[in-house]
Amino acid sequence: MKSQALQEMIKKVFSDEKTKLQFMSNPESVLAQFNLTEQEKKAVLNTHAKLGLATADSQQLEAALDPLSYWS
Amino acid sequence: MWQEKQAGKLRREIEELLVPLSDADGLSDLIRAALTQGRRGLGAEVAYAKPLPLLLLVVCEAISGHYEHALPAAATIQLLMAAGDVFDDIEDADSSESLPARYGPAIAINVANTLITVAEAAITRLKARGVEDCIIVRVMDVVNSYCTTACAGQHLDLSLSSETAVSEDVYLRVIEMKSASQVECACHAGALLANANQELVDMFAKFGHNLGMAAQITNDIQGVTRGSDILKHKITLPVIYALTQTGSKARNQLELTFSKQSEPVLDATQIRDLLFRTGAIHYAMIKMESYKQRALDTLSKTEGAGASIEHLKLFLE
Repeated sequence: MKSQALQEMIKKVFSDEKTKLQFMSNPESVLAQFNLTEQEKKAVLNTHAKLGLATADSQQLEAALDPLSYWS
Repeated sequence: MWQEKQAGKLRREIEELLVPLSDADGLSDLIRAALTQGRRGLGAEVAYAKPLPLLLLVVCEAISGHYEHALPAAATIQLLMAAGDVFDDIEDADSSESLPARYGPAIAINVANTLITVAEAAITRLKARGVEDCIIVRVMDVVNSYCTTACAGQHLDLSLSSETAVSEDVYLRVIEMKSASQVECACHAGALLANANQELVDMFAKFGHNLGMAAQITNDIQGVTRGSDILKHKITLPVIYALTQTGSKARNQLELTFSKQSEPVLDATQIRDLLFRTGAIHYAMIKMESYKQRALDTLSKTEGAGASIEHLKLFLE
């Protein structure tokens, strides 16, 4: 299912510099502003811990993706 | 390594199935070519750290401690998926390296039909491995059911291919039917062949579903980071996010670029930059992580029910 709250959070982080800085220093405080499920919060924090959600470039993302490459 | 051992046995199983084709001039070579693409059953990469073609065997072993009796079913799934790939290549007509591009659609259709027929022959070999008739019927039912779902998903995807107004819900439905169903099928059949109880079978099907969703979203993200899906103007999760969540200027540029009725206004690098800048890729990463987490949670429950999940965790780490 799509997640409105998750979309709103990402939109805010990537369109508002102040929120982006706040997310980088204290991600939980930004997550608290949105009605995310526990699973979504965990997924955001895991992704952020692995590659720095708001700052990752394509190489960092590519490196983080390898384990799940599909069988085709 | 255990992967190499299992992969070797799967390759031998498939090779035995191809013996009746040895007199058909060139056909078995084309079948092997279809089966060697990517991480299919005969490909060298099958013994990778995350060997998805072995998933059915790994699930079976995780529950029952052995897997050799399940090899014909793993071969069946590989053969059916290879057939699906060949049909896909005919439908998409977007690769000069594909079987239909190299040998023509008539040859390719015959190869795909042969793969399906050999897959049916493979599943009957379960009987000689001591699998009970009632389990064989259930495995056949599960395989047919997921294949039907995958075909319906492909139809939906083809029907939507000229539209840019694809919603996230529809996209998720398509990948659930087309892609995740294949992974779910392998896990479901593996659990059945381990004689697992219904509760455990359901848990493994759910694990397969979430693993398959995570894997397909991963593919879609790589399609953007590597540019292949951008060049094909394929609308996947990052693009859908950008089409619905970004400002009107970026949205208009994307709509014009991905619409097959107009000239692209952005090149591949500009599209990739836009998808990074707007967080579209990051959104897809979080969705992928969420499915991965669900798969991990389900796997933990199977461990509580007695399954040995050490090898299965490798698919998610």
